[in-house]
Amino acid sequence: MFRDDAPALETRGLTKRYDDGTLAVEGFDLTVPAGAFFGLLGPNGAGKTTLISAICNLIRVTAGEVLIFGEPAASLEARSWVGLAEQDINLDRFLSVRETLVYHGGYFGMPRAEAEQRADEMIDVFDLRAKERVRAPKLSGGQRRRLLLARALMHHPRLVILDEPTAGVDFELRQELWRYIRRLHDEGTTILLTTHYLEEAETLCEEIALIRDGRLIARDSAANLRENYSAATLADVYVKAMAG
Amino acid sequence: MTGNQGLVWLARRETLRVSKLWTQTVLAPVVSSLLFILVFGLSLGERIRQVSDVDYEVFIVPGLVAMAMVQAAFANNASTIFQARSDGYVNDVLSAPMHPWQVTLGYLVGGVVRALAIGVSLAVAAIVLVGVPVREPLALATAVILVVVLFSALGTVVGIYAETWDHTTFIANIVILPLAFVGGTFYTIDLLPSPWEELSHFNPVLYLVSAVRHGFLGTADVNIWLALGVTAAMTVPAYLWAQYLFTSGKRLKS
Ligand SMILES: Nc1ncnc2c1ncn2[C@@H]1O[C@H](COP(=O)(O)OP(=O)(O)O)[C@@H](O)[C@H]1O
Ligand SMILES: [Mg+2]
Repeated sequence: MFRDDAPALETRGLTKRYDDGTLAVEGFDLTVPAGAFFGLLGPNGAGKTTLISAICNLIRVTAGEVLIFGEPAASLEARSWVGLAEQDINLDRFLSVRETLVYHGGYFGMPRAEAEQRADEMIDVFDLRAKERVRAPKLSGGQRRRLLLARALMHHPRLVILDEPTAGVDFELRQELWRYIRRLHDEGTTILLTTHYLEEAETLCEEIALIRDGRLIARDSAANLRENYSAATLADVYVKAMAG
Repeated sequence: MTGNQGLVWLARRETLRVSKLWTQTVLAPVVSSLLFILVFGLSLGERIRQVSDVDYEVFIVPGLVAMAMVQAAFANNASTIFQARSDGYVNDVLSAPMHPWQVTLGYLVGGVVRALAIGVSLAVAAIVLVGVPVREPLALATAVILVVVLFSALGTVVGIYAETWDHTTFIANIVILPLAFVGGTFYTIDLLPSPWEELSHFNPVLYLVSAVRHGFLGTADVNIWLALGVTAAMTVPAYLWAQYLFTSGKRLKS
């Protein structure tokens, strides 16, 4: 059962060592409250994608625990509450835009009529109507990114995880995307975001976690982080935290 | 949340892939097997006349049907899984609320559907063109199910282990095809001199070709129960192997 008194995400002692020995995430304790707009910042290779993959059952974790709204992340229920847009675009090359959405809805347990209706909604929101019957490999980069986001949101996830959703996305689409994500957040959806755009994180995220070398080094609101690091902007905080 | 809905949609997706590509996935193998039946059967049939008391063109049909299904089931699942892994969209399924057994079964369906589409088309064509009988439909159905599940599951396993596209075609061309050629598709192993006849009994393909041939012709190199038993003894572990890979996440998740 869904409980909104539990945090949207809780990791305890999460550790991931890849088979080649890389220790990507170590002893990671993170709590993301339900309904938060949460930013995960850190340089390339810090372990953001690894952390997200652990949350979404896409890697075998070495140690630790992940709970989604109080349920173990591997449980079917927890999985159905999470929507993920991965950093690397991974669209099914055999499916059209519409099929991509409807089949994803199906994998996540939506009845067909509901999936079709939701797909229509997503197609309009992400401005993909003209490409409805086109397969993913025939879409432009921006269209693929939009489809990837539409797919992540298809099954009404309560926790939306966006791994660098705006990398390589033009200004206009970014604005539109944030407008939509903000609206989702206003409706109560929890958003977990990684991005390289610090100004973006500063304006959007209520709380920010800074990670370096697989460890959590700070976690607070942008204002408090600025104060704690005696920095004028989040960018200055970032530079100080990563150097420290 | 039971995951059964997801299973149905994954099976549907795998079937959709087969039907979208039907000229490659179904038509091409049917045409090439038919050419074998016509060219081999009708040309050699003039000289060989009878094998196991049936005309040669009739004799080779069950083996060719079996081999067409084997290759299609294997190739289908090896390529669909390899593709999904290398493009990363397998993650959409791996993160979905489904049990590993549902993912295993959902992926299996594509190979099974494709192989059955080929098998049924070929059988119908062969019944019409060369008058192949179906003497033991129940044995035939059992044999066909075991064979298509076996090779769909093996395709899944190879698709999960493969590091390059070539690995999947390597297994198909270097292991399955040669075993099929010496597995009694084109001849009965009674005709072989010692020790080849005895050695043939170590070829797993002999048993599944025999099981399918028995279903069509009512007679084969190997007793039907032994043939079905050996085939089942391969099918069950192959299926469990595929399921183990989805359950443990080995090679699918880093
Ligand atoms: N599949 C993998 N196998 C081995 N090492 C990996 C793998 N994926 C990521 N890594 C390593 O783990 C570390 C964290 O990577 P990642 O989580 O992708 O960081 P980020 O998303 O913050 O850029 C890096 O050192 C990276 O090279
Ligand atoms: Mg990353």
